Amino acid sequence: MATTALAQTDRHKAARRRKWREALTAYGFLAPYLFIFLTFTVFAIGYAFYLSFTRYNLLKPPEFWGLEGYRRVLCLEALLPRAADAGPLVCDDLFIRKALPNTILYTVIVVPAQTILSLILAFAMDQNLRFRRLFRTIFYLPSVTSSVVISIIFIWLFSPQGVVNQIFGLNINWLNDKNYAFYTIMLLNVFTTSGTMMLILLAGLQDIPVAIYEAAAMDGANKLQSLWHITIPMLRPVIFFVVTVGVIGCFQVFDQIYVMTAGGPLDSTTTVAYLIYKWAFRDTAVKMGQASALAFVLALIIMAVTMIQRKFIEGSGSVSS
Amino acid sequence: MKASPTYRAVTFSDRLILLLEKAKNPIFYVVLFIWALVCIAPLYFTLVFSLKPVANIYDEPLFFPNPFSLENYRDVIGALPLFPRWLLNSMLISFAVTCLRVLFCAMGGYAFARMEFPFKNFLFNAMLVSMMIPGQVTLIPSFLVVGPGIIRGGLKIGELTLPTGFGLLDNPLGVILPGVVSAFGIFMMTQFYKSIPKELEEAAMMDGLGRFGTFFKVVLPISATQLITLALLTFQGEWNNFLWPLTVLRTPENFTLPIGLNWFRGEYYTLISKVLAGSLFNTLPILIMFFIFQRYFTQSIAATGLKEG
Amino acid sequence: MKKLFSLISLLMIAAMILSACATPEVKEVIKTIEVEKKVVETVEVEKKVIETVEVQKEVPAERAVVRLSGWASSPEETALLQGLLLDFTAANPDIVVKYEPITGDYWQQLKTSIASGVEPDVFYMDIFQYPAFAKDDVLLPMDDLMAREGMKRDDFIPSLIDAFSTDGKTYGIPKDFNTLGLFYNKALFEKAGLKEPTDDWTWDDLKAAAEKLSDPANNIYGLGVPADAGRFPIFVFQNGGMVMSDDFSDTTLDTPAVAEAAQFYTDFRKNKIGAIPADLGEGWQGTLFGKGQLAMVYEGGWLIPYLTKQFPDTQYGVVLPPAGPKGEGNLIFTVSYSISKNTKNPEAAMRVVNFLTNEASQMKVLESGFALPTRISLKDSDYLKSNAASSAIFRGALDGAKPFMWGLVGSDVNDQMGKALERVYLENQAVDAALKQAAEVIRQKLAEAK
Repeated sequence: MATTALAQTDRHKAARRRKWREALTAYGFLAPYLFIFLTFTVFAIGYAFYLSFTRYNLLKPPEFWGLEGYRRVLCLEALLPRAADAGPLVCDDLFIRKALPNTILYTVIVVPAQTILSLILAFAMDQNLRFRRLFRTIFYLPSVTSSVVISIIFIWLFSPQGVVNQIFGLNINWLNDKNYAFYTIMLLNVFTTSGTMMLILLAGLQDIPVAIYEAAAMDGANKLQSLWHITIPMLRPVIFFVVTVGVIGCFQVFDQIYVMTAGGPLDSTTTVAYLIYKWAFRDTAVKMGQASALAFVLALIIMAVTMIQRKFIEGSGSVSS
Repeated sequence: MKASPTYRAVTFSDRLILLLEKAKNPIFYVVLFIWALVCIAPLYFTLVFSLKPVANIYDEPLFFPNPFSLENYRDVIGALPLFPRWLLNSMLISFAVTCLRVLFCAMGGYAFARMEFPFKNFLFNAMLVSMMIPGQVTLIPSFLVVGPGIIRGGLKIGELTLPTGFGLLDNPLGVILPGVVSAFGIFMMTQFYKSIPKELEEAAMMDGLGRFGTFFKVVLPISATQLITLALLTFQGEWNNFLWPLTVLRTPENFTLPIGLNWFRGEYYTLISKVLAGSLFNTLPILIMFFIFQRYFTQSIAATGLKEG
Repeated sequence: MKKLFSLISLLMIAAMILSACATPEVKEVIKTIEVEKKVVETVEVEKKVIETVEVQKEVPAERAVVRLSGWASSPEETALLQGLLLDFTAANPDIVVKYEPITGDYWQQLKTSIASGVEPDVFYMDIFQYPAFAKDDVLLPMDDLMAREGMKRDDFIPSLIDAFSTDGKTYGIPKDFNTLGLFYNKALFEKAGLKEPTDDWTWDDLKAAAEKLSDPANNIYGLGVPADAGRFPIFVFQNGGMVMSDDFSDTTLDTPAVAEAAQFYTDFRKNKIGAIPADLGEGWQGTLFGKGQLAMVYEGGWLIPYLTKQFPDTQYGVVLPPAGPKGEGNLIFTVSYSISKNTKNPEAAMRVVNFLTNEASQMKVLESGFALPTRISLKDSDYLKSNAASSAIFRGALDGAKPFMWGLVGSDVNDQMGKALERVYLENQAVDAALKQAAEVIRQKLAEAK
């Protein structure tokens, strides 16, 4: 009895030592990341968080003003009926009226479109088709070009006299018509991101060992069944990655809007990220504090969406699985 | 997959599957072909119209450069005496960032995917959250850290003055440093390692290789596909990176290609043909890189003995 | 395992050493005696300078570094500036000018630099952005330094240097300026059998000509009327209206004078005798003017070199903007060289500014054709006498012209003015309602900025 107890404590000790060793090793692996994370990210986010409680125009030191910045960002009183003689609102209703609805619309359309498209492309690339390499290179073309450059090209392609209208015999003022401008930018985003996402999904697909498919085939599973029961579950972590990055990218869409429409026509393409930029740098009376507050409101929204998403692509989200 | 003769009655769903099997490849070809056209079109038109004189920027024909003119390309080169310098700067920065980031992200991702350690979930979630803060508001604090320092004039402790920033303003290292790891890369590698079966590594661990040994001798080689994917994405991202180098770099000799070309664009904004020509100059080197990488990309899949896609 | 650890720590140490080595400022040491001599010579001419020179003499071994930033607007302008800087270095061997062009968003970069305390010593300051910078005290008052350099405010066109002055102090030396002129296409006028415009034209002449010049079937329109806050306000001024109250604390966009001007302006497009650039598939009306699709446009001097280069066959003339019911009105676009309050070398910075705005440099600006010189003495220069187009733009500043500046919330005022016009154009909103909506939003922004 005594010996077994001793052996047990020994085993416990050994297990604990192993645990410590593993933790130490893990931090060794993470050291470069943690170094950059602590020096840049933590400080940068902390500083921005502090600024979100201040009034700051970059030219003179920030002044603390508590939650006033957040109140002005949300500007909920803009939604309430107002007396005619109430005087001007002391807040900016652009977020609640334009930027937030626009951003949600954008994400709801672009994320499914780009994910499904890149999944189809990745599956196709994973088949034994001819000219696979050629196709892969071509599909990656739109992603290679910088977002600024491709935006300039799109401005030109989609101008009223541009190539698109000429080819299809249309007469649409794509970027200056508030009914089309935002959808043109969505199209551009799906176009440029699908290549990258295809590549990521393809790398995931190709790492599913053939042996698993072979075993399934032996058990009499047909292709559709193995797609459903093997490929999709095995690919889940990668799909979660692609969707998460897609959502974050959509919520933060900026470059294309900055270059193509600057939020216009009539605020129809003003997104949250563009609004942050506008407040932080573009306005003559800079509102860096409010821009920071908006950044954290946006981060909260993204977090909520990511959490919901984890529930849907269930199990794959948490690291410990 | 051929339909093997069976004695069991052929059900509807079996027929559907057979039909799909037969129709699958033609459908895929059509999808691929159409999407390929869509992908090529913008760059093709850019090429065509950059080879036309400025005055013909909206004129037919659309599909070939007529009248033909090299004037735009001549102007780009002529206007940018520092062009080779910028190309070199871009190459060096992108290459340095890519090498370091791939290594560090693979290490970080592996730790998150395979190891147990205190604060793991907290760190992982913190990383995800850090991706959610838009860059516009962290620009200034990041700039303070890399350049002049958080506290103006440095932190004074008695006689000692400690710098609170790296002092890398107008220095390529200032562009490289914050880019050597990315939350995106670690997140990507974590998800990849989770989708790879553990068996191979476990065998190596049994052989007494230890974590680091296993990582370098077994894990890195079998994850070559993902590493190259990450390398490609990193290189491409760094090559096109605009805002950060723009903020850090000051003198024209230190500019990277996109910043230099943006200078050109700022001056020639009314002459779209020239801007198109300049844009292709930015795109071409990365395309060439992709063609080179593409070979390794397919090779690596064969070399790892995994599925031949 | 140990190897990797040491590798990582080595890398980190290397990064730290490298960062420590890189000192941000490069100071070149020069030991020539000739330089000092030159300094002494200037002292004898201007006795006031003695004080500073003595200070300089104590640390004579260093060349002062002056960092200069501006945006890039055209290849010609960049070449001109670089040429001037070269001349400056030849004449002032004791000062090193580091030109640091900003190729991205200029104001974002400049404000980031100021917030971090690493702004350049001398930088471009647009009149539009000036109010915020003046209010928050980031610019150096230049009057004392100007006196030491022998510069006088009277040397510059009053409306320009006044624009960059607050509370009697000068915060910027105007480097060049532009106003709007009425550019007209001679061939189209001849084709329509019309006499060419003169400086004495009025709104009625403008409208009558636009009617005859327009040919919508062939995509030719009389006048460019973009939804642009950089064009429309001249009609407001010509109708006796204002965009903002005198102290910029309120907007006057919802007054009848503005509404009448907006009605007149937007009716051009409504009656198909005017167009916005997007109607004809361009982003800028200058291109359409060059192509002969717009017979008349209001543009500044920047259009002149553009036309010369891109549309050498287009024959055109430029006259003062036609007067409205209440007389002349024009906008002044101007940029100054301003000096940072934190500069370590104010004297050297001022010497750079002085050189870049002296008569010889300004003559070169004038000859380039894209902007006009700010020195009043060049008013009667031969160049202006022989270049009618530039002369018209120059004279635009003399009568009824106001700076293109709407106070602290200028960008919002611009936005709202543009949007009001867009709503009239694209959504058929009534002019009154559009302007009222704009004014409301501007008041909201003014309340927020308080």
